[in-house]
Amino acid sequence: MSASIEIAGVSKVYDGGVRAVDAVAMDIRQGEFFSLLGPSGCGKTTTLRMIAGFETPSSGAIRVDGADITHVPAHKRDMGMVFQNYALFPHRTVAENVAFGLRMRGLDKATITAKVKAALAMVELSGLEDRRPAQLSGGQQQRVALARAIVIAPRVLLCDEPLGALDKKLRQQMQFELKQLQKKLGLTLVFVTHDQEEALAMSDRIAVMNGGRVEQVGTPTEIYNQPTTRFVADFIGDTNIFRGERTTTSTVASALDVGKGLILALPPTEGQGTGVLSVALRPEKIRLITRTDAATAAGSSAHGIVENTNFLGGAVLYRVTLESAHRVLVQQPNAGTSRLFVPGDGVTLEWTPADLVVLKD
Amino acid sequence: MSSTTTTRPNGLALFILPSALMFALFFFLPIGLMALMSVLTGNPVVMPKVAFTTRHYARMVGDPYYLEVIWTTIRIGLVTTLVALAIGYPLAHWMARIKSRAGHALLLMAVLAPMLTGIVVRTFAWMTLLSDKGVVNQTLMSLGLISQPLKLMYTETGIVVGLVHIYVPFMVLTLTGVIGRIDERLEQAAENLGASPLRAFLEVTLPLSLPGILAGSLLVFALAISAYVTPILLGGFQIMTLPILIYQQISANFNVGFAAALGIVLLVISLMLVIAYNRALGLVSGQRELQ
Repeated sequence: MSASIEIAGVSKVYDGGVRAVDAVAMDIRQGEFFSLLGPSGCGKTTTLRMIAGFETPSSGAIRVDGADITHVPAHKRDMGMVFQNYALFPHRTVAENVAFGLRMRGLDKATITAKVKAALAMVELSGLEDRRPAQLSGGQQQRVALARAIVIAPRVLLCDEPLGALDKKLRQQMQFELKQLQKKLGLTLVFVTHDQEEALAMSDRIAVMNGGRVEQVGTPTEIYNQPTTRFVADFIGDTNIFRGERTTTSTVASALDVGKGLILALPPTEGQGTGVLSVALRPEKIRLITRTDAATAAGSSAHGIVENTNFLGGAVLYRVTLESAHRVLVQQPNAGTSRLFVPGDGVTLEWTPADLVVLKD
Repeated sequence: MSSTTTTRPNGLALFILPSALMFALFFFLPIGLMALMSVLTGNPVVMPKVAFTTRHYARMVGDPYYLEVIWTTIRIGLVTTLVALAIGYPLAHWMARIKSRAGHALLLMAVLAPMLTGIVVRTFAWMTLLSDKGVVNQTLMSLGLISQPLKLMYTETGIVVGLVHIYVPFMVLTLTGVIGRIDERLEQAAENLGASPLRAFLEVTLPLSLPGILAGSLLVFALAISAYVTPILLGGFQIMTLPILIYQQISANFNVGFAAALGIVLLVISLMLVIAYNRALGLVSGQRELQ
């Protein structure tokens, strides 16, 4: 039966005073695909290792279904784990690897054989029982690691960048299969990754971590559309970040003066005020048209010159230098009918003030 | 495969010449001479008439005394190896897994430091500890635990103690390399699957470190059966081993032929072990060659 996990104010300080994890708090719900996302060194793997019991928190508590397991040794936690390098036992066959956890649980031979068979069938590795890990491809090793972890019907499945070593095609396929398996078995799954696309594609919820702290917890759409901090906005996908002084103009009541004459109208939800603010604007929220001679609408458009055109297939990514000297990324869907703008073209950018996202620093 | 890598004259191959010459001159030639001497009736350089004979080997087989010496040598070698393994493995495991660099450096120094002192000096140190009036006996007697001094020196036990002390570093260094290369995450994976730390060690680390155990044991055994100084000083000629016997045959009895035959026996014991080692290694790690 899958379990919920509560991480309550957990910190990990190593000898020498390095704070790998700093007061991390999150609730992982039962049956949820939960990702820990962040750059290397952000504390995501340390957090996962503390959940697994390979590291002991310096302070704080970890609870599974309400029971404190902070000091329960790893081998009594009943959690499955898929390691980054798979950590398959090189001296044992595929079947022996998968049977290991069942053997530790003292099950009888017939039961073990049946369960191993079922688990290998689930990851589509039937027939490879007697191979050694070294005789398998990366994708197959990954499946063995997965089968070994789920065959014990763990309360929680922990994955430490399990797909990192696979090539792109295989990784996408495994993402899909892992997600399906997780839903089918109703597993609570904690997934560590530095790949934001992977996290967005697979997760029910994501915790974005940076410098040992949690920046934001939310669904993929929340994380992408409403990033709350500058780090999250910058880390997830491409974005344009502006920083400036709050101001009021004759036409816009609540605006941001980002310098060199560029004024951005703030979203209507943002009232009047003063002070310094950062906002994010996604490249695909900007429309790009051939330069018009008409004056730009105050706060929601600007003139510029295309500097760089990057054809991505489904979309085109432009780098545009505004008259205010700001450089902005703009992404347009590739409609296939109109010609692409080329470097040197004069363009006008338009956006909706409501698409600006106000960030905490 | 072999067709594409046929040997072609390579300029770099010349660099192997000095070591090849040295091996030929100082290794194969002496061993060849020793083998020859062991089947001759005398030294052809000083004796005008020599003939081939098997009498040196026949003497060894015919006299239980010599068989006893061979067996004693092997027994001391085996016990030394087992004790060195029992002491060395935990130390090597500790060294391979210790996180702190300073800790690792300290352990390494502790292992290597004794090797900076000569074998003779270290063996004399053991004599002051183990003799009838040595530190150990004096302490035990003053505590009233024993009334008669324990016979620690001039016994096999004394020799084994001295040999273990000298050869443990070889065991530790060999094992540390092998254990250090075993991915720690394998143990963690085992624990994650429900194995206690001890069980994880027995199921994963121990079998994966077998090549190191075999290599370290082979090294220590080969060194122990050919040791000369320690068995003489701590055994006091009361315990006879093959190297001591060989030395006596040459220096006291001038029986070079018999000494050569004994040397060949010592060599054959070592060679048989190397072959057995390679076989065993093939059995325990045949599958790993694929990696």
